[in-house]
Amino acid sequence: MGIEIPFDVANIGGPEAGDVAPPEVIGSYISSASRPLLVVGSELLRDGFFLDIAIGIGKKGIPLAATGHSIKGFVEKGYTENVYYYNLHELTNCLRDPNWNGLDGTGNYDFVIFYGIIYYYASQMLSCLKNFATDPLMRTVSIDRYYHPNARMSFTNIMPRMEDEYKEMLNKLVESIKG
Amino acid sequence: MEELKKGGIFTISDMSNVRINIGEVVEEEEEWEPMGPHPMPRIATLRDWDFKILNRYKPFYAPVCDMCCLCTYGKCDLTGNKKGACGIRMDAQQARIVLLACLVGCSAHCGHGRHLLHDMINKFGRDVPIDFGPEVDIEAPLTRLVCGIKPKTIGDYDRVFSYIEEQIVQLADALHTGQEGSYMDFESKALHMGMLDSLNKEAADVIQIACYKLPSGFPGDGPDVPLVDVGIGTINTNNAVIIVIGHNVPPAADIGVYLTENGLDDKVELGGICCTSIDTTRVYHKAKIVSALGRQLRVLRAGIADVVVTDEQCIRADVLELCQRVHSPMIATNDKAMHGLVDRTDDDPDKIVDDLVSGRVPGVIILEPDQVGEVAVRTALEMDKKRRSLKFILSDDEFNYYVNDCILCGGCTLACPNGLPIGEANKSAAAGNIKPLADLFDICVGCGRCEQVCKKHIPIVDVMTKAAYPQLKEEKGRMRIGRGPIWDSEIRKVGAPLVLGTIPGIIAPIGCGNYPNGTEDAWLIVKEFAERNYIVTLTGCMAIDCALWKDKDGKTIYETHHGGFGGGGVLNIGSCVSNAHIHDAAIKVASIFAGRPLRGNYEEIADYILSRVGACGVAWGAMSQKAASIATGFNRLGVPAVVGPHGVKYRRAFMSRPDIKEDWKLIDASDGSDVYVEPGPQDLLVACETVEEALPMMAKLCFRPSDTDRGRSIKLTHYIDLSQKYLSTYPPDWHLFVRVASDLPLATRDVLLKKLEDEQDWKIDWKKKKIEAGPIRGYNPSFNPTNLERLIRGKK
Repeated sequence: MGIEIPFDVANIGGPEAGDVAPPEVIGSYISSASRPLLVVGSELLRDGFFLDIAIGIGKKGIPLAATGHSIKGFVEKGYTENVYYYNLHELTNCLRDPNWNGLDGTGNYDFVIFYGIIYYYASQMLSCLKNFATDPLMRTVSIDRYYHPNARMSFTNIMPRMEDEYKEMLNKLVESIKG
Repeated sequence: MEELKKGGIFTISDMSNVRINIGEVVEEEEEWEPMGPHPMPRIATLRDWDFKILNRYKPFYAPVCDMCCLCTYGKCDLTGNKKGACGIRMDAQQARIVLLACLVGCSAHCGHGRHLLHDMINKFGRDVPIDFGPEVDIEAPLTRLVCGIKPKTIGDYDRVFSYIEEQIVQLADALHTGQEGSYMDFESKALHMGMLDSLNKEAADVIQIACYKLPSGFPGDGPDVPLVDVGIGTINTNNAVIIVIGHNVPPAADIGVYLTENGLDDKVELGGICCTSIDTTRVYHKAKIVSALGRQLRVLRAGIADVVVTDEQCIRADVLELCQRVHSPMIATNDKAMHGLVDRTDDDPDKIVDDLVSGRVPGVIILEPDQVGEVAVRTALEMDKKRRSLKFILSDDEFNYYVNDCILCGGCTLACPNGLPIGEANKSAAAGNIKPLADLFDICVGCGRCEQVCKKHIPIVDVMTKAAYPQLKEEKGRMRIGRGPIWDSEIRKVGAPLVLGTIPGIIAPIGCGNYPNGTEDAWLIVKEFAERNYIVTLTGCMAIDCALWKDKDGKTIYETHHGGFGGGGVLNIGSCVSNAHIHDAAIKVASIFAGRPLRGNYEEIADYILSRVGACGVAWGAMSQKAASIATGFNRLGVPAVVGPHGVKYRRAFMSRPDIKEDWKLIDASDGSDVYVEPGPQDLLVACETVEEALPMMAKLCFRPSDTDRGRSIKLTHYIDLSQKYLSTYPPDWHLFVRVASDLPLATRDVLLKKLEDEQDWKIDWKKKKIEAGPIRGYNPSFNPTNLERLIRGKK
């Protein structure tokens, strides 16, 4: 774990900033969840690899909320089981409510993974959960190529030229999530 | 009485030390309509209405900052909805910041309107009639609705602004430490501020329409206003060029007058950036719109302006520095944005021109609009000669040097609001492919933060402009000038189709250019809805940006669609203040079509609009505090708005929960019965991540409980079709909007009935093609939806 500057450098919320962690640690953290949810966004569509990573996580039994227009990628890939379209703002509005019944009607989630979402949009939604989804505490992580201080745990900033390293991190992450 | 002086002051014979001051002499007002329940509402007057909205569309907060640093108890850490030293919780603090943003936005429009009123009274007197011609009888719906005033002359707006100013001060007071503590009450106050802001905007535009004879309701106005040029490529740099920036048009109008009166209109180009440019074209039809706000930095750095004239709002804080860099003298014309210059109002124009042209001063302040034209034009003509040989676009050698100098550190990407991969684009350019860099030009929001962090001091903005320069030279669009009010006759024609749903809705793209992915999104939104027979009403930067794009025949969206307030219309309403006419159109539907009384009757009209008028604003690049107050004003009136992803930084949204049945209980005003309805509109303020997501969202936010089955089937057609087109799937909630089989589009009715049976377990009578069980409610054509018990006409 280490310290990083936010991807949007001035995006410093306050005293509580998430930890930077490697993929194995985040994978292990995700594995500790009793009811996790993977929330994916439109940046997933820039490369089929990223979509496959989401599907790989989905196949570990974690349901997917496809926000933005990312649902298009899943439909075109033919992977729609356990994938639900939801607007991210509306979804976060539900996630902050402990009484929400979840995407499958069986209750809210205790752990949310953000992936493939425009940085500043994800950051604000993580801020909402950090500040208002506190009883019971909802744990959040980001596995995007950005450091997200509003997530409890996040990857470090990874510049576009480091795309191959980022892909390797995602592969390691999927491997380390216990299905 | 010995002497009567101006302003009601007189002296009495032999009583020289006595002075009696009679204030305003109020004429008996024509009894044009009985006064409604809420004229000139105060903070608490419409609180019940606000709480009805807020209980359904519960405020959602996403803090940008987890702390409060407004008093010396602090900083206080509010993370996790903790309380600060004063007792305020995080949610209330967020609502307080929202109120503050709305205060700033509302004050900007109020200051603008009041300033305009002063200038116009000085120039034309108080008695300029408000006569918008044969097509516009209801000249100022918001003024009538909120204030209970039917304005006859511009002088009547003194009372309106006095009311707004008093309310703004009271609302600002509530921001102080130790005042309001409830987030719900902060939001009610923000809604009040938003309503005041809508009134500001209407007042400002009514005044300028009346005084400058801008398009309104006369023949040749409305749908028939002319087209003007848009785009950097439309500026003829062989002429002297004046660029006006801001929102308050009198100085620019004076430049137009000076050019015309002196026969210089073919020798000097008058172009503008942001809303002043839109309003300048309403006054002076030879003016050109250079760009929206997003390109201000780049237009100035390109050095095309021989003189820059600023007024107020949306001016870069470093405008003087930018002007100096390209040797463009600057004239500041408004006391709200003086940029450290020396006030030369009333000075000899010869001396001012000489000082500017010689470079002895980088700029001047001239606060009298009627003194600006001569100085600006004469200076531009002189500077054109001096600046003609100067080049501000990088040479090929300079460009190659800079792109090769980039070390790919990524600092620019971290500083960029859109996180653009600038370094990688530089490297492509260094390898001979400039397309990635040229493509970034339109997505770049033009802030310049990248340059400040570049370790190699690369002028990134200039490098990007150089890469895109071949396209910029050809950027030549066309747009209609701002038409101002919607005609009463147009409302009579479309009132019924709008309320019944057969025109599926009004889409109102408004506001700034802080887009996530460039200006093309603005064009796509307009095109998609205009082609689907929605009415598209634009104002401000989105009205400009969508005119930069053309179809395969080289036509802009304004050239391929009519400008009338009817299905398929694409209307440039005007500048930011003109977007009050969009509020007004919805209000006029309630008034003209439904016969609801307007005067001092805000709550009833807002209730009507929320339940019946399928309108949706979209501020895809919302950036400013004005945009915050504008959206909040729309929300109080019952009009939802979609914002782009940057809009989440406003911290607050208004979203409902369709899964909470009690939130969707309306009253049937016909008999007082409770009716549980579908979520229409589901949200009042919501952000979408991409334009592909926003398009079906906007269609969804046009559903209203009053839709007829035919109207509902049309709205459903577009909602489902847009979702399939852009998301490749059916919307997961489309079934919520089905009440009876006839709500379903005829062409796909069987398919959809089958889906309802299979996926939602609804009971379908296939012989009768009828839904037997499943929907939230059935379709009752006489349903008279309301949220207000006082409007119940009969008892169940």
